[in-house]
Amino acid sequence: MKKSRALVPLLSVLLLVVASLSLLPGRAGWLLPWRLTGSDAELARLIVWELRIPRLLLALLVGAALGLAGAVLQGLTRNPLAEPGLLGVSSGASLGAVIAIYSGFGAAFALAVPLLGFAGALLGTLLTLTLAAGGGVLSLLLAGAAVSGLLLAGTALVLNLAPNPYAAYEISHWMMGSLADRSWNQLALAAPFVLLGIVILMATGRSLDALSLGEQQAASLGVDLARLRRQVLFGTALAVGAATAVTGTIGFIGLLAPHLVRARVGHEPRRVLVPAALMGALLLLVADIVARLLPLAQELKLGVLTGLTGSPFFLWLVWKMKERTP
Amino acid sequence: MTRLVAKGLALRRGSRDILRDIGFSAQGGEFIAVVGPNGAGKSTLLAALAGLLQPDAGAVLLDDAPLAALKPRELARRRAWLPQNARCEWPLRVERMVALGLAPRLQGFGDVSVEDQARLDAVLADCDLAAQRDQIVTTLSGGELARAMLARALVADPELLIVDEPLAGLDPAHAWDAARRLRALATEQGRLVIASIHDINIALRRATRVLALRDGRLLADGTPATVLDAVLLQQLFGVVAEVRGTAGGGYVDFAC
Amino acid sequence: MSRPLVASLLLLCALNATAAQPHRIVSLNFCTDQLVMALVPPQRIASLTWLARTDGAAEQRALAQRVPSNRGSAEEVLASRPDLVLAGRYTTMTTRQLLGRVGVRMLEVDAVQDWDGIRRTTREVAAAVGEVARGEALIARMDAQLAEAATLRASVPLRAIGWSGAAEDVPGEDTVFNTILVTAGATNIAARPVGSSGFDLEEVLRARPRVLLRGIAYNEDRSLRSGVADHPVLRALPGLAIIDYPEGAWACGVPAAAGYALQLARTLRALPAEAAR
Repeated sequence: MKKSRALVPLLSVLLLVVASLSLLPGRAGWLLPWRLTGSDAELARLIVWELRIPRLLLALLVGAALGLAGAVLQGLTRNPLAEPGLLGVSSGASLGAVIAIYSGFGAAFALAVPLLGFAGALLGTLLTLTLAAGGGVLSLLLAGAAVSGLLLAGTALVLNLAPNPYAAYEISHWMMGSLADRSWNQLALAAPFVLLGIVILMATGRSLDALSLGEQQAASLGVDLARLRRQVLFGTALAVGAATAVTGTIGFIGLLAPHLVRARVGHEPRRVLVPAALMGALLLLVADIVARLLPLAQELKLGVLTGLTGSPFFLWLVWKMKERTP
Repeated sequence: MTRLVAKGLALRRGSRDILRDIGFSAQGGEFIAVVGPNGAGKSTLLAALAGLLQPDAGAVLLDDAPLAALKPRELARRRAWLPQNARCEWPLRVERMVALGLAPRLQGFGDVSVEDQARLDAVLADCDLAAQRDQIVTTLSGGELARAMLARALVADPELLIVDEPLAGLDPAHAWDAARRLRALATEQGRLVIASIHDINIALRRATRVLALRDGRLLADGTPATVLDAVLLQQLFGVVAEVRGTAGGGYVDFAC
Repeated sequence: MSRPLVASLLLLCALNATAAQPHRIVSLNFCTDQLVMALVPPQRIASLTWLARTDGAAEQRALAQRVPSNRGSAEEVLASRPDLVLAGRYTTMTTRQLLGRVGVRMLEVDAVQDWDGIRRTTREVAAAVGEVARGEALIARMDAQLAEAATLRASVPLRAIGWSGAAEDVPGEDTVFNTILVTAGATNIAARPVGSSGFDLEEVLRARPRVLLRGIAYNEDRSLRSGVADHPVLRALPGLAIIDYPEGAWACGVPAAAGYALQLARTLRALPAEAAR
C-alpha cells in the first residue's frame, strides 16, 4: 500500500531530475552553464531553447502518450502483451503521415500530417480490435500482426507512387523514430491532439477496473462497453497517431511502461494509468539521452534503441505466459 | 418491497426460440431456484431478468419500471449479477476485487468513501473472507473465489441478486454453504435472490420457490415441495426419480 | 534465360553495335545521364534514367523529358536495342551482368569527386560516344570556369556546411559537393573521413558555420526533411547565410560542376563581410 502511494511522487521527482539533466548533453557536447561566456552563452541559449527544450517536451509528451496508451490497451484487452506498436496503431499512423507528406497535403496545410496520422491510427486500431473481438491473447496479437503487415504494405505502396524519388530512403530513416532536430512548431502541431488523447484515455480508468471482472460483469456494473471501446479507440488514435506523425514509430514503450509499474499498484488497471504515463515519459527521455550520448558516428535512432531493449523483454513476457498457460 | 415482474418474455437467436412467453412475479424475501436441463434457456432468462439482454417481446419490470428505461448505473446500484464461473483477470488483492462491486456507487475520480469502506469490511466479514482480504484473488481456492465473488456482488447492497450457476464447480460442503448464504440473503435480509441451480436436492431443500424451465418455456412455478415431483423431473430431465421425505427435509432419489 | 533466346539476342546486338558513333545510347546512371546530355544530341539517346527527369538542373530535366526514360531493368534496356550502354560501377548490377553476357557494348563509368577525375571520365565517355572534340570543349570550358573561380576566392575560406534537414545526409569529405565548396572558397565543416558523417542541428550550430548550403531536391516540399530543414533556430542564428542549391545536380562529377563552383564563388563573394561574432 505504502509502496503504491509513493510511486507517483517518486516517478515525478525522477522525471524532473532526468528532464533537467537532459538539457546538458547533446551531440554537440555538454552544455555546462557555468563554463559558458560571451557568444558561447548566446549560442548555448539558442541550442537549449530552440532545440533541447522542444526535444525534451516532445519526449515527455510522446513517452507519456505511449505508456498510457499501452496501459489502456492492456486494460481493455486484459492482455499484458497489448501495445500500440503491436496492434497496428503505429503502422496506421505511419501510413497516414506518409500519405500526408508525399501527397503534398502536409506542405500546403501543416495540420494534415497529425490529422492523417490520427486517421491512420484510428483505422489500424479499429481493424485490429474488430478482427480480434472475442478472441484470446493470441488472436489479438495475430490480428495486430496482420493489420500491421497490411498497413506497412500500404505505406510501401504510397512510397512507390510518391513523386519524390528519395521518399523510400527518407522513410526508412523516419520509421526508426527520432526526436532529433524537432522544433517548437512540430511540438505545437502534435501537442493538442496528444493532450486531448491523454485526457480521453485517463477517463477510462473506472471502466477498465470493472473490466477486470470480464465484459459481462463490467456491463452488469453499469459500464457501457461500446462507449468504452470508442473512448479507447479515439484516445489511442489521437495520442499515438499525432505523436507518431511527428517522431516516427517508437515501439515497446507502451509495453514496458505499464509492466514496470503494474505490480507496484496492485495490478489495478486504473491505478496503472498515471504511473504508466510517467514511466513512459521517463523511459523515452532516458532512451533519448542514451541515443545522444552513444559515441557513434551517427546518432542511434530512438526506435532502434527501444526496439533493441524492448523486444527481448517482449519475448520474455511471451515465454512467461507460455509457462502459465500450457 | 422489491418487486420484479416478467411479462410475456420472449427471446430469439437467429431462427431459434430461446425463451417463449415467460411470465411471473417475484418479490423481496424470495430465493428462487431456476432449474432445468442444459440448454433450457436458464442463463438467457437470468441475463434478461438482469437487464443485460433485451427481450424480443415482453418486458421485465422492477418496481413497475421497465428495466430498459432505467439508466445502466441506476440499475447497477439496485441489482447485482454474477455470471457462471466468474473470475478476475488481473491478480488483484481480494479486498480490491470485492471493492470493484462498488463501481456504480463511486463518483467521478474519487476512491472508496468511508461509508463504503465500512460496507466493504462488513461484507468481507459476512462472507468469511477477513483472513483472505490481502490474498491475491487468482490464488484463491474454488470455494473461496465463489465467496469472494458473492461479496463483490453484495458490497453495493443490491435489492435484487441474480446469480448464474453459483454452485457449479463447488464440492458438496461448499455448495450447501453457498446455498445457505443465498437463502439467508433472501429470508433474513429481504432481498430477492434468483439463481440457476443444477443440484435438485439443494433447490428442493434451500430455495423458497422453483421456476422449472425446458426448451425456453416455464413448465412449473411454485414452492419446491409442490413443484418438484417425479412427473416434473421426468418432464425436465427425462429421468425416473422419486422425491422422498417431507418439505425441508426431503430429497430426490434418482433411479437411473 | 534459355540458350536460344540468348543466342538470338546476341545476334541482334551484333548487328547494332558496329557503328563508330553510337546512335542508340542508354544511360543507367543519373550522373552518366548528365554526361550524355552534355555530349550528344537527344536524337542519339535511346533512354536515360527516370531520375534525370526529376532531379538535377532545370535545363537538363527539360531535356530529359524529351527522351525515353528507363528504370534500370535489363528487359527494357534490351528492348530499346542499344548500341552503347553507360552505367555506374555500383548500381543496377544484375542488369549490367546480363548485358555483359549478351554482349551489349557497355562502358562502366567511375563515380569521380575531383576535377582530375572529371577530366578523365569525361574524355572516356566522349571517346565512347564518338564526340572527342565536344568532350575537349566541355573540359576547356570547365577549366576556364575554375580559373575564374580561383580569382574570386577569399584569402580565408568561409566555414560552410551542407545541411538539408537530416543528419545522415550531410555531405562529407569525399564528395563532389566538397570539391565545389573548396573551389568556391569555402571549407566544408563536415569534411571528415567517410563513415563518420552525421551532423544534427546542434552540431551544425556548435560548428559555427558562416554559410549553410541547403540542398533542394525535386519535389522538396513533399518530403519529410523539408519540415526540419527550415528549423526556426537557423533564422535565429546571427550572421548565418543560408544558400539553397540543387542537391541532385551537385552530386555528379561532371564538367557542369565547375559552373556551380563559379556560381557559388560569386555568391560567397557577394556576402556581406562577416560581422564580429
